[in-house]
Amino acid sequence: MLTLVGIELFKVFRKWRTYIGFIAIGVLVPIIHIAMVYEGKNTIDFMTRNIQQSFVFVGNLLNTYLISYIVLTSLTVHIPFLITLVAGDLLAGEATAGTYRLMLTRPVTREKFVTAKFIAGVIYTNLLILWLALMSLAVGYFIFGVGELLIIRGDMVIIFEQKDVLWRFLGAYGYASLGMTVVASLAYLFSSLVENAIGPIVSTMAVIIVFVIISAINVELLQSIRPYLFTNYISSWQLFFDNPLDVEEILKSIGILILHIVLFFGATLIIFKRKDILT
Amino acid sequence: MDSKNEELVIEIRNLSKYFNELKAVDNLNINVFRGDVFGFLGPNGAGKSTTIRMLLTLIKPTKGSIKIFGKDLFRDRLSILKNVGAIVEKPDFYGYLSAYKNLEILGKISGHEISNKRIMEVLELVGLSDRYKSKVKTFSHGMKQRLGIAQALLHDPDLIILDEPTTGLDPMGMKEIRELIIHLSRDQKKTVFLSSHILNEVEQVANRMIIINKGTAKVEGNVKDLLDATNLSVTVEVSDVLKAGSLISESGWSEKLKGISGNRMEFNIGNQETAQLNKFFVENGVDVYSIVPTRSLEEYFLRITQEAI
Amino acid sequence: MRKVFLIMLICIVEIFPQQKIADELINSVITNFNRVKDYEVDIEIKVDVDFLKVPDSKAKIYFKQPDKIRLKSEGFAMLPKEGLDFSPSALTKKDYTAIYEQDVTLNGKKVSVVKVIPVGEQSNVILSTLWIDPIDKVIRKVESTTKTNGTFTIEFYYNDSFNYPLPEKMVFTFNIDKLNLPKAFTTDGNTPKKKKRLPDAPTKGNVIVKYSDYKVNKGIPDSVFEESK
Repeated sequence: MLTLVGIELFKVFRKWRTYIGFIAIGVLVPIIHIAMVYEGKNTIDFMTRNIQQSFVFVGNLLNTYLISYIVLTSLTVHIPFLITLVAGDLLAGEATAGTYRLMLTRPVTREKFVTAKFIAGVIYTNLLILWLALMSLAVGYFIFGVGELLIIRGDMVIIFEQKDVLWRFLGAYGYASLGMTVVASLAYLFSSLVENAIGPIVSTMAVIIVFVIISAINVELLQSIRPYLFTNYISSWQLFFDNPLDVEEILKSIGILILHIVLFFGATLIIFKRKDILT
Repeated sequence: MDSKNEELVIEIRNLSKYFNELKAVDNLNINVFRGDVFGFLGPNGAGKSTTIRMLLTLIKPTKGSIKIFGKDLFRDRLSILKNVGAIVEKPDFYGYLSAYKNLEILGKISGHEISNKRIMEVLELVGLSDRYKSKVKTFSHGMKQRLGIAQALLHDPDLIILDEPTTGLDPMGMKEIRELIIHLSRDQKKTVFLSSHILNEVEQVANRMIIINKGTAKVEGNVKDLLDATNLSVTVEVSDVLKAGSLISESGWSEKLKGISGNRMEFNIGNQETAQLNKFFVENGVDVYSIVPTRSLEEYFLRITQEAI
Repeated sequence: MRKVFLIMLICIVEIFPQQKIADELINSVITNFNRVKDYEVDIEIKVDVDFLKVPDSKAKIYFKQPDKIRLKSEGFAMLPKEGLDFSPSALTKKDYTAIYEQDVTLNGKKVSVVKVIPVGEQSNVILSTLWIDPIDKVIRKVESTTKTNGTFTIEFYYNDSFNYPLPEKMVFTFNIDKLNLPKAFTTDGNTPKKKKRLPDAPTKGNVIVKYSDYKVNKGIPDSVFEESK
């Protein structure tokens, strides 16, 4: 099994498309950093304009934490695309290339094959988030340093002590990884159904976009189905920035995400086990 | 070669595969014995590839059973596939990896320890050792076909399943593959299951064969028997068909005459008789312009191939 | 017309002595405070406002006469604008009219209540009430109504054994209308469900500042007050 995972990882990381995600984040995040060098003060003024009327404050609010938070917020819509780019290709890519015939005529069970590929996909997903974390936090650290984190959650302005922030980010990135793994497993499921990689990428993104739109429309009927849409839980990494932490809510969200992963992957497993390889 | 008493390597019983309404393979029975080079012949679309995919567990049969090495294929899949090497249809590889890397990956999951030396050995065997570092996407179809054979042989399997291995090769390459198959069978005692849509190719290397069309078996048996001289027909083109006709009617050759069209006469005769007939005509003052042997099996095969087109 | 003039005259006559007392009280406080040429103090800030979650913070305040003041902190610190500079001259630096009202007892101390009405358009404060301790010559409480930030109250607590009129604790209470926070960075709508405030309820809050380790009249270079950015 380890050999198989190794092979799949090797294949993933020998493909050019795998690096699109890393390059995209490696370019985008520093751009945000640069923009914040010039515009960061305005952003803070915007966030605090009402408080500024009544308070004076000192401290480094424009720091790597704030930027990492902004990056995490604004990229939750775009990173799924980078994830599906690879996860949607995992099985469908082999179908397109005709290499199923090479792999599946070897003494390897289909279950192991599918699982190894999935693990490779999950590792890619987690590395991408790790890369995002590294780019956001580390690059930001060198440009802006650390400080207190100022965020607006709902109608609250929350400022976290400097030493109270890093673990929240670790939790948030961990949660985001899990959320993105749901995206990866959905793309993987679609990938097992078709013979070209475009299909899974487009359908996964379509599902996500439709779900996000449904979530965003403020109509009673649509709002009532919101808790059943998995996209609703992908951005729940923000729960780690509640004070106090709503552990129950976090565990519930994690449970729902894991349930989705198990569901999507289980379906893939069943479908793939019965699949006739015709390509 | 009589293989009736030998060990069955492939045993296909009542195998059927339906894709919705389409009966791709219908009630097929095949026996392949150890040491056979088994020709699996049929026109395009006859169900050859579907059968081979079922032999390699890529497709699940609708009905029937397959035993390989005496074990049920779908129950003992792993232990069987350990000992099977195959190419299925066109040779596809990971184009973004080198020939060597492709083989290395496949070696790792072959169920055997494959040394680097072994990889280079098979690449040498198929004449790709100088290109082992090149990415497969830079390979020509022929080179990929060779690499396909290399990966099939990589783990030194007992049973080698080759699906149209000479497609896309130049005549020289085709000859090399034929020689390789003969070498594998004769010198290494491998069992080869060779699918082809070219009778001539099968005839040159196989000892037993089956012809399938539209998913069902049409002709099956020993290649020598099937292509035996008794089944041969010869068309002789002569200078004077009237004179030739009267000569024939006066001799015993008349029994062998199948028909006359223009100045062509068709006989049901073997190789030796062909020479005698030629001598007979020439000695009696009839010029022979051409002698074209046509075999009934070939005719038959040609017909079903044309139907398929 | 004559009647109006008479009423006005009476008013002026009535007000003048009271204004005089008020001015004297304020001036005595200012004079007392002016013994402090500069100071440096460590502060601990505790912010308790329901729309604002801020950790307790530590900072330093530097002050130099007449009006140089600077809040410095290694980390983040925030103070109500009106709570930063408590020198009496800051409270009354603009033109104002002060009226003595009465004497009351505040926290066991006898204090004089003085109303201060700023003159001119530019002031944000509409009306301030000062509770001035005529004996210790310090302000013990301020209540101001502003144009934009509602009403706030500052209470000062002094250490009696301390030589200078500098507080050891300040409690800043305010009561303002709802703040409209920008909705940026909350795109997902995943707001914490539990503590929903009524949309237009006024916001109450208080900030408690504790002062310690005063360094008075030790001399502070002007560079301290320069913006370091």
